[in-house]
Amino acid sequence: MVAWIGSQTVPLPAAIEQVAKLLAKSRCPVFSIESDVHGSRSLIALAERVGATYDHVNGRDLLHEVALHTDIGGFFATATEVRRRADLIIIVGDIAAAHHDLLLSLASTTADLSSSSRRRWLQIKGKAPAAASEPLRRLKAIEVGSSDFPIDAVLGSLRAVLAGRKTSAPLANIDAFLSEMASARFPVFVFSHLNDPASLAMLQGMLADINRARRATALFLPCDDDAWGMVLASTWMTGFPPRTGFSTGSPIHDPWLCDIERMIADKEADMHLWVSERDEARLPKRSRVPTVALVRSERPAAGALVTVRIGKAGLDHDGVVYSSRIGTLRSVAATAPSALPSIHSIVGQLEQALQAEGLPS
Amino acid sequence: MMIRLAGGEVVDPINGPTGKRDVWIEDGVIIEKPVSKRADKTYDVTGCFVMAGAIDIHSHIGGGNVNTARLLLPEQHAAHLKRPLHTPLANAGWSTFNTGCLYAQMGFTTVVEPAMSPSNALHTHMELADIPIIDKATLAILGNDDFLLSMIRDNASSAMIDDYVAWTVSTARSLGVKVINAGAAAAFKENIRSFAFDDVVPSYGVTSRKIVETLQSAVGRLGIPHPLHVHANNLGIAGNAVTAAETIRASQGQPIHLAHLQFYGYGTEGKRGFSSEAARLADLVNSTQNVTIDVGQVMFGQTVTISSDVIRQYSGMRTASPKKSILFDGDGNGGGIVPYRYRKDYYGSLQWAVGLELFLLINDPWRVFFTTDHPNGAPFTAYPELFELLMRRDVRNAKMDELDRSALELTTLASISREYTLEEVAVMTRAAPARLLGLDDRGHLGPGAIADVAVYRKGQDVQRMFRDAALVFKNGDLVVEDGVVTHYRWGKTVHLNLPPDKGITKRMQAYHEDRYGLSLDWFTFPDSAICRENPFAEVACKS
Repeated sequence: MVAWIGSQTVPLPAAIEQVAKLLAKSRCPVFSIESDVHGSRSLIALAERVGATYDHVNGRDLLHEVALHTDIGGFFATATEVRRRADLIIIVGDIAAAHHDLLLSLASTTADLSSSSRRRWLQIKGKAPAAASEPLRRLKAIEVGSSDFPIDAVLGSLRAVLAGRKTSAPLANIDAFLSEMASARFPVFVFSHLNDPASLAMLQGMLADINRARRATALFLPCDDDAWGMVLASTWMTGFPPRTGFSTGSPIHDPWLCDIERMIADKEADMHLWVSERDEARLPKRSRVPTVALVRSERPAAGALVTVRIGKAGLDHDGVVYSSRIGTLRSVAATAPSALPSIHSIVGQLEQALQAEGLPS
Repeated sequence: MMIRLAGGEVVDPINGPTGKRDVWIEDGVIIEKPVSKRADKTYDVTGCFVMAGAIDIHSHIGGGNVNTARLLLPEQHAAHLKRPLHTPLANAGWSTFNTGCLYAQMGFTTVVEPAMSPSNALHTHMELADIPIIDKATLAILGNDDFLLSMIRDNASSAMIDDYVAWTVSTARSLGVKVINAGAAAAFKENIRSFAFDDVVPSYGVTSRKIVETLQSAVGRLGIPHPLHVHANNLGIAGNAVTAAETIRASQGQPIHLAHLQFYGYGTEGKRGFSSEAARLADLVNSTQNVTIDVGQVMFGQTVTISSDVIRQYSGMRTASPKKSILFDGDGNGGGIVPYRYRKDYYGSLQWAVGLELFLLINDPWRVFFTTDHPNGAPFTAYPELFELLMRRDVRNAKMDELDRSALELTTLASISREYTLEEVAVMTRAAPARLLGLDDRGHLGPGAIADVAVYRKGQDVQRMFRDAALVFKNGDLVVEDGVVTHYRWGKTVHLNLPPDKGITKRMQAYHEDRYGLSLDWFTFPDSAICRENPFAEVACKS
């Protein structure tokens, strides 16, 4: 079974036809996307055709990561280069669980392009979230910072101290931090889901200071690799990261205007296409907006007018994903090939069906 | 379908003098005038020039660094939306889809992305696949990568180096090899801040000169048609004409291509210690037959500089406008994205003049190539204006009146009367690039060539003529009418057919597992990964 209208099982073409009707009728459709690069590519192209606004399913988590790149920029490195060259790794705050294996693999290797015989580890900590996750404890990183201050303040103090200024904030292991930084040849600050702009700006400001005289860089680990793959595809296709819409015919990027949750809550949106390849994916709470779900579920999605069951890239079919391990896109082959359709193929069928609804290609 | 373009003035120097004749197309290729058949479709192109589709050999149109630039500068894209001409940013082509349309509208049908990091090949090719209409190609960057530097340090045999270069070109689906400030990205990671031709890469003990010589030889031995594409040391620095001259002399009679020579045309004279050495460089190019160059012309306005020359980009961060930039340490190659506005001040005026001096003082249009190093010198959408500057001295002189007089006095531009002819433009932008890249099937309108054809309406307004082609055909499909894209199609990315040796593949497998803890298939990809029908086309190496 791959398609339902309401809770009724239907042949896939019938579901596609129904979705095409809803899209053709809609005046302000919104797409929430969680897919590999090909799925994202096809959905963004569909959004352009029907004048939709799109975002990642977890668009809120992406906001600050995107803003770092659009507003500030900074110093970055690939994980592969970090593995071979970093003699000092400084973890900033906590790291998304998806990247723990990467950090542990770095801990089990030495930097073959460095003259240093071992890799040292520090972790900068602030007030919250305080507890390091269990796997990262195995890194035995020296903790620097203070549980009394938020992490942006800790980073600000460390930046001041590194620049030779005094700070009144008492920070744990500040001497160790200064000593390790002084002896490192290629220190790398690792960060992930730092959800406040001040921390990101302060970290990059510190890197700009350091690089005036010596080298240092940062390893950015996105909160979600697949989401970052969508950011890249969106950027090359439209010139903009997600939270972009085609309501005027041309792409408009505006993180507030194109916030899909807001658009639904404010009754601007009149149709919601919700797409996720993940098994654990759950539709957001019921809204009055007609919703179509493309999901990997074996059951119709609660609250969806139409549900289409899809496969997952790298599992049911081949695909292309972003990988933090190599800092770029990689091709993934299906590990358990199945007949479940890819998002790309579903969108292809939708494109055909839209022609029947009078929407020119 | 058989198509006839009737009554136009054909500018196709490779196949004869300019004159009125019909051009015939069938099944996507140019054919001889048929003896007894009639055309299915005839276009009256009376009052028009008919040329082959143009080829851009050096334009940063896709890949990791280009996309990062888009991400860094959403405001640049927003300003690209239709608005009155001559406002800031009105001419910056930005998304992949716009890139293909804007090139096609000007009659360009093949564009080379000249700086693809091999580790980023899949991303680059996926972007290129989303550029409609035109054909594309890439040059793979080598010269800062540990594998090559280690081989040079360890005196590896020529055969081993050739195998590695062939493997890289092959797996990255490239048309050739580029070296960017050879060794400097590796040196920058060890905190070296300037890197000259004879400087040594720390930890490897090899000089930039040695890296360039090694790659130049390998490219020659492998029969790669395009000579080594060199982004030399000391880009943008006063006095760097000496570096360019030294790089040219080091080529020792073997083919070499110097990219964006304008950025190396600087002396140290004048109050500001920044002057033009373009005339001397042009003389050297004129007398060194094995050398080709592209210019990298600067035009005024907002742009963004994108380069894997991280040392240069780091020093450029101080002058970023707007004040944000990205510096990236990658495997082998890094990258720097620094937005910049070329102003009509002393420095901007001098750079503008140096580019034009090179265009006008290098005599042979077969060896000087038409580029702005998009977007580094200017967006490619500035090309029509640049054609006019080259073809009309009065327009050039009028422009000079707007610029910094003290800068122009340190150049020879005012004394140059040369105006490019249409035939020279056709050589520089069609026939010569095709020959340089080894693409025998394009760049001319002889029988058997693919039917990439640009038709321009004659007129006094050179800019308008080249901005809005009257008709453009890609592989015989009509894609542009009166400067407007009327038909979308997907072009191909052309790359060399250079089968890698089995031994090197095993060696690369072991290297990636040992150094990155990942199998080789993390770094390579099948054609099907592009998810577009027949995304690639193969080109043969020289025998």
